[in-house]
Amino acid sequence: MSLLKAAYQRIMVDNLQPLVLVHLLAASLVALLRFGPDELSSLLRELQPVHLFFGGFLPAAVVIVYLMLRPRAVYLVDYACFRTPHTSRVPFATFLEHSKQSPTLNSRSFRFISPLLERSGLGEETCLPPAQHNIPTHKYCTLDGARAEFELVVFSAIDDLLAKTGIAPDAIGILVVNCSLFCPTPSLVDIIVRRYNLRRDIRSMNLAGMGCSAGLISVGLARNLLQVAPQGSHALVVSTETITPNYYVGNERAMLLPNCLFRVGGAAALLSTSPVNARFRLNHVVRTNTGAGDDNAYRCVFQEEDDEGNVGINLSKDLMVIAGKALEANITRIGPLVLPLREQLLFAISLVARKVFRARIKPYIPNFSKAFKHFCIHAGGRAVIDELQKSLSLSDEQVEASRMTLHRFGNTSSSSLWYELAYVEAKGRMRKGDRVWMIGFGSGFKCNSAAWECIHPAPNADGPWATSIHRYPVLIPDVLKH
Amino acid sequence: MGLETESAAAAGGAVHGHRLSTVVPSSVTEVESYGLADPDLAFRLHYLRGAYYYAAGDAVRGVTTKVLKDPMFPWLDAYYPVAGRVRRPADDQPQQQQEDGGGASRRPYVKCNDCGVRIVEAQCGRSLDEWLRDDDVDRVAQLCYDKVLGPELFFSPLLYVQVTKFKCGAMALGFSWAHLIGDVASATTCFNNWAQILAGKKPDAITVNPVKEPQDRAPAAAAPPRSIRQVGPIEDYWLAPTGVDMACYSFHVTEPMLKRLQQQESAASAGAFELISAVLWQTVAKIRVNKEVKTVTVVKNDMSARSGNSLANEQKVGYVETSSPPVKTDVSELAAMLAKNLVDETAAVAGFPGDLIIYGANLTFVDMEQVNLYGLEIKGQRPAHVEYGIAGVGEEGAVLVQPDSDGRGRVVTAVLPKDEVGSLRAALGSSLLQTP
Repeated sequence: MSLLKAAYQRIMVDNLQPLVLVHLLAASLVALLRFGPDELSSLLRELQPVHLFFGGFLPAAVVIVYLMLRPRAVYLVDYACFRTPHTSRVPFATFLEHSKQSPTLNSRSFRFISPLLERSGLGEETCLPPAQHNIPTHKYCTLDGARAEFELVVFSAIDDLLAKTGIAPDAIGILVVNCSLFCPTPSLVDIIVRRYNLRRDIRSMNLAGMGCSAGLISVGLARNLLQVAPQGSHALVVSTETITPNYYVGNERAMLLPNCLFRVGGAAALLSTSPVNARFRLNHVVRTNTGAGDDNAYRCVFQEEDDEGNVGINLSKDLMVIAGKALEANITRIGPLVLPLREQLLFAISLVARKVFRARIKPYIPNFSKAFKHFCIHAGGRAVIDELQKSLSLSDEQVEASRMTLHRFGNTSSSSLWYELAYVEAKGRMRKGDRVWMIGFGSGFKCNSAAWECIHPAPNADGPWATSIHRYPVLIPDVLKH
Repeated sequence: MGLETESAAAAGGAVHGHRLSTVVPSSVTEVESYGLADPDLAFRLHYLRGAYYYAAGDAVRGVTTKVLKDPMFPWLDAYYPVAGRVRRPADDQPQQQQEDGGGASRRPYVKCNDCGVRIVEAQCGRSLDEWLRDDDVDRVAQLCYDKVLGPELFFSPLLYVQVTKFKCGAMALGFSWAHLIGDVASATTCFNNWAQILAGKKPDAITVNPVKEPQDRAPAAAAPPRSIRQVGPIEDYWLAPTGVDMACYSFHVTEPMLKRLQQQESAASAGAFELISAVLWQTVAKIRVNKEVKTVTVVKNDMSARSGNSLANEQKVGYVETSSPPVKTDVSELAAMLAKNLVDETAAVAGFPGDLIIYGANLTFVDMEQVNLYGLEIKGQRPAHVEYGIAGVGEEGAVLVQPDSDGRGRVVTAVLPKDEVGSLRAALGSSLLQTP
């Protein structure tokens, strides 16, 4: 049955256009064959150059141009996530104790963050960078500390990736790094180029300020660059967020949230237009930005100064609502690319009924389980995952990767999607042909999606989950007592 | 500390530049709470201060804070109560306290929440030789982070480890250990365990028993034990207030000095601990002209009589009383009394309800001769010198008799009111410590 489904998916959904073309060609061939051999030979004798041109050369040219202009398929050779060391572990009690020692945090703010941590969905094994294990924290969050954190996280992930793939550093022709809140000079890509002796003609891009959804923006950018690079090129995509320089030292409650939720993490992925040794195929990247014309969405995740002049990220109370709307906008664009015809029709009918005929019916939520086997939803926070589970009508098992990643690693920003994929693989749930949907959210307000298809599942559970996967899944209580 | 006071401290050769951080267990502790037994609670107002000195050399020069910290993570997996915090059930559930009203609901325990151990990095502008030669009064307090439990028990670490680097490259490790979590034998075993992990060896197996049964309380009418003194009531700041500043003064009784003492007082046929204690007893009694020092408390660490729990307070507490004033009694007689007339009150002390102090209730003599102080090797290097003091000692003072580095002499730390230290120094200089 599943073979039928896979075949249906492959033929009816992915390849509709060629299918139609093939049908037309077949129809014309059949029509041609209807003519008898005598009629056919007389037809051929009367053939003029103009007939040959419009009947033979032109269609052939169209087909060839079509085949050449098709985008190259992009594959994920492999990926590696930073394995957080136990020497960076921060239990709740330690986080609260350090906060208490902070000379800038007042008691009202302190009473606010304690219940926040308990209900956050984070576990007791999440990690903060070495600089933030000092007291008082803000004194040691220096530029050097930030660079040290970046190098620790990224070099470790890249070393892992190079070992897994066996690729030599000079085979990398494209390098894309995204790190939202740390942008030194020379840039982060330069740090990597220097460390790994990458090529002099490397096409590198550093993406800063693009928020938690930037991981998929980097993947999309790498995919686009691979279209114009020589066939078979490799692109290294590095997604991380540097925690050290972003410790908020004020008392504005909405701006204290990032201190509590963001944790150390990073991932490196190798993309290529060559399918050799590839583990996944990138089917689609769909980016949606809802900030234009919507002030609430634009200011939803906003870096600003508080009344005392302390810089921090202000998270709006309407974040869930805005995330829901952004998701709807993204679904509207990715739906037609991945959903089977039936789901698309139902969604379209429901949309028309509500918008055109103003019928008071509940919006039809397409059943994305028919399009994807695994879901990697950005582990932004417990509420985000709850909201998305509700919006997409997903089961607990389908959001398990997101919840468990939030518990084990905290909110690692743009790299969380890779930790979630690593969870699914470490659990042994990935099979050849399985489709994965990565959904990232972030400031802007942006919602970005990527659709992958598995070619080879991971051979073992080695990776960031190696030491902890046997304990998962865990039941995450509503309130974690410490 | 302002910038001016920092540089003044640095110029003055004091320990400065303190940098604090925290080390936690490497994995999540499954055990929720660690009970405190009656003897643990009896000692809760006292704090051990242990200073270990390592001479400058290639081994010590390469020791960074990271090298010292990395083994602590797995070490705290085994010693998880040390990374916890003291809680009182009344803090968690104020309404339950009113319902129960009994002693059980107010009993403090250790919440095993992996909060961690505090690490302090500091520098000293003097070389180790200068430091030891200068012989500052209360130098141990400079090398061990001077904090006690409270006023916020929730956020008070049970252990501070201070790493002080001297100008010459030598290093000192200072441990501030809350006595309630274990006696000096438990503490030293704990630190030596860490050193074993640091050396890459498999550490000795340890047994941590999280369930501690409270013993039957002594009946309220019973007289309080003579070895202790009731204080309090102690609320959130776990230090018994004394009217005077106490200071630790350490000195070395070398092997020749000890031999001479044994020859002089051969009538006593007592061990080194009793002899040294007797000398100190008489000296302190002479200093305290207005007070009689007829009763002394004796605390002994008997390594052979331990239960096997790696964290426990299993010292023997007792008292010795003399009818005649010590200034008029022979040292050998005092030593004989210390050896033979010891009245053991360990159980009574443990079962005593209420807040109490043991060290310093009377002049207290602590026998640490059997404790393994020199097993804490860093990169294969034994400490050049180790001295222990105690914080939270009462006004009467305490004397700790410890082994020295080759085991044949003794290191003695006297914890006395600051203004008595000078007199003690002078008195000892002309008697016990006179070079033979």
